[in-house]
Amino acid sequence: MSTHQAAAKSRVDVMNGNMAAAWGARLSRPQVIAAYPITPQTPVVEYLTQFFADQELDCQMSEVDSEHTAMSMLTGASLTGVRCYTATSSQGLALMYEPYFRASTLRLPIVMNIVNREMISPQTVWGGPQDSLTLRDAGWLQIYVEDNQEILDTTIQAFKIAEHQDVLLPINVCYDGFYLSHMSERVEVPSQESVDAFLPSYHSDHILLDPDRPAAVDPLTSGYLLMEYRQKHMAAQQAALDVIAQVHDEFARLFGRDWGGLIETYRMEDARYALVTMGSVTGAVREVVDRKREAGVPIGLIKVRALRPFPLQQLRSAMSGLKGYGVIDRNVSFGWNTGILFQEVRSALCGLDEQIPCIPFISGLGGEDITLDLVGQAADAVVRNTAMVEQAQWLQVAHEGR
Amino acid sequence: MTVMEKLAFKEDMISPGISACIGCNVELTLRTVMKILGPNTVFAVPPGCMGGVGVVGWNKQSGAKPPVFFPLLDNTASMLAGIRLGYNAQGRTDINVVAFAGDGATVDAGFQALSGAAERGDRILYICYDNEGYMNTGYQRSSSTSKWAWTSTTPVNASGGGGKRQHKKDFPVIMAMHDIPYMATASPAYIPDLVAKVEKAMSVTEGLAYIHIYNPCLTGWGIPSDQSIEAARKAVQSRYFPLFESSRRKIRITRKVKEPIPVKAYIQASKKFRHLDDEQIQELQELTDERYRFLEAMEQVSQEG
Repeated sequence: MSTHQAAAKSRVDVMNGNMAAAWGARLSRPQVIAAYPITPQTPVVEYLTQFFADQELDCQMSEVDSEHTAMSMLTGASLTGVRCYTATSSQGLALMYEPYFRASTLRLPIVMNIVNREMISPQTVWGGPQDSLTLRDAGWLQIYVEDNQEILDTTIQAFKIAEHQDVLLPINVCYDGFYLSHMSERVEVPSQESVDAFLPSYHSDHILLDPDRPAAVDPLTSGYLLMEYRQKHMAAQQAALDVIAQVHDEFARLFGRDWGGLIETYRMEDARYALVTMGSVTGAVREVVDRKREAGVPIGLIKVRALRPFPLQQLRSAMSGLKGYGVIDRNVSFGWNTGILFQEVRSALCGLDEQIPCIPFISGLGGEDITLDLVGQAADAVVRNTAMVEQAQWLQVAHEGR
Repeated sequence: MTVMEKLAFKEDMISPGISACIGCNVELTLRTVMKILGPNTVFAVPPGCMGGVGVVGWNKQSGAKPPVFFPLLDNTASMLAGIRLGYNAQGRTDINVVAFAGDGATVDAGFQALSGAAERGDRILYICYDNEGYMNTGYQRSSSTSKWAWTSTTPVNASGGGGKRQHKKDFPVIMAMHDIPYMATASPAYIPDLVAKVEKAMSVTEGLAYIHIYNPCLTGWGIPSDQSIEAARKAVQSRYFPLFESSRRKIRITRKVKEPIPVKAYIQASKKFRHLDDEQIQELQELTDERYRFLEAMEQVSQEG
């Protein structure tokens, strides 16, 4: 199917991020869905169970007793060789940690949207990727997206990436709670036919619990074999760098929408400075970059989409030769006094000959707005800076009485 | 054909040479249950004694012959529920989806997963072998441990004080009250009864079937290895562990104990109760009497209904 044909068969709608995720899942024809509601992900479960009730979604649907059960159930279902989907947020992800880790070490290509939300305490329900970023080393692939169309498109791509024979790993498509989950935007919904042409059905051969082919899964295993498991798992993460890019390009050709692949760069061709972002704040940064460009400041934007695997080479080539950069983190890395993305980016750039002056920014925790003004301050600070700043600069709007 | 003849002609679904303790009645229970279930089974063995002795084995040369896996300690029922859904999605509805889990993985850490699966009606067969604690890691207490029993986390002091301070959770009744299509208790001392119950549980086509088997632990409780079955039998004969079944809350005592032996005669079989004084033994006797009366009353109500 050509781009023209696929585009012609799509329809334009207005929907929030959760509906975009639900449509992404629905169009991908999962065979088993198990999910438990939690703010701000709840509507995803409501939309999917409504699709199911309306017989628009042909799958096994289980309304489970917890997130722990959701992921456990999908782990079991995936071991029979079927396509599985769920979604969660924050405390739900934390409760899920035990089967979450194991889904990756069993190499089960489960797809899960994470509607990013802060971790308590104090009590909070608002956006921020602290939940999924904290689990970045649990073996899953993680992609962070910026708007509702990107949620839908990337959720569909996620199945193809996860199920690729060189990868066979579970994947998260992460988007900010409320900023995306509850905000409505224009979204193009591809036709079922065009998604079917892009995404073939899933066939599992690598791990199965099947009486016709009996095997023991996970006997007590010695360290030397466990090391082999981990080496192969890490190799699969590296292989995913290519697969994510390939699947992305194929999708872009077919549906006419290009999200950049592993990273997206904006006005970086002649940039001397850069702001590095993830998630929904990218829109604000894009706007600030435009304004600074109008004022003659040679600044650009790098949006990190794939956090796992980490796009080391892509970042190095995009950032080599810069005079300075800043990373805007909507999260913290306790013990480093910076955000998590900053640590990742700086580690990647250690491979360059030059040391690029940099600033770790932390902003927007607990769903606080990262305003154009705050991003502007960050841009100005990056242009002024000549040092390797190692302590977080907090960007926040002054609150009365604080 | 008698049950023993039937079992004699069925293939052993567990390899020889698993490393259970000498005389272990859980191994006997496992081999018996698996013979009845047969090869068309997906089999979950969470961490516990039967996991520890190698039932999740290697290359079909050790352990279970049907497909077998370690669930996590706390997600046996939910992983199995997922396996059922996965096979439903593929139209393969004839596979037995079975748990063989200890009491720790069932009444403690795995309770939420099991309760959820029971409420949703996930079609799995869940068997709990209750040896009253975490026996394979050195005899720690669980909520299924009997009151006053010694365990390594409810130790007894030099003057005989200590032991577990709470009564055993009445888990079979809790499961029966989930309105599931089949719940039964069983004992390795009553194999024909056990076999009949496994066969009934296998015939359930809608919802969860649960079997709670009481397996006195030789090593952990301090029972001589040649008295394995005897101890299990005394638990039933004293009414300490009654054999009954229920279907959608209709309860039936399957082995009525008209003239029970004293509970004291049962607990004397185990070193873990050796420090009990008469008053404590009397408390266990009263609990046993109360629970049996409660069971009879429920059976009565079921018949009236």
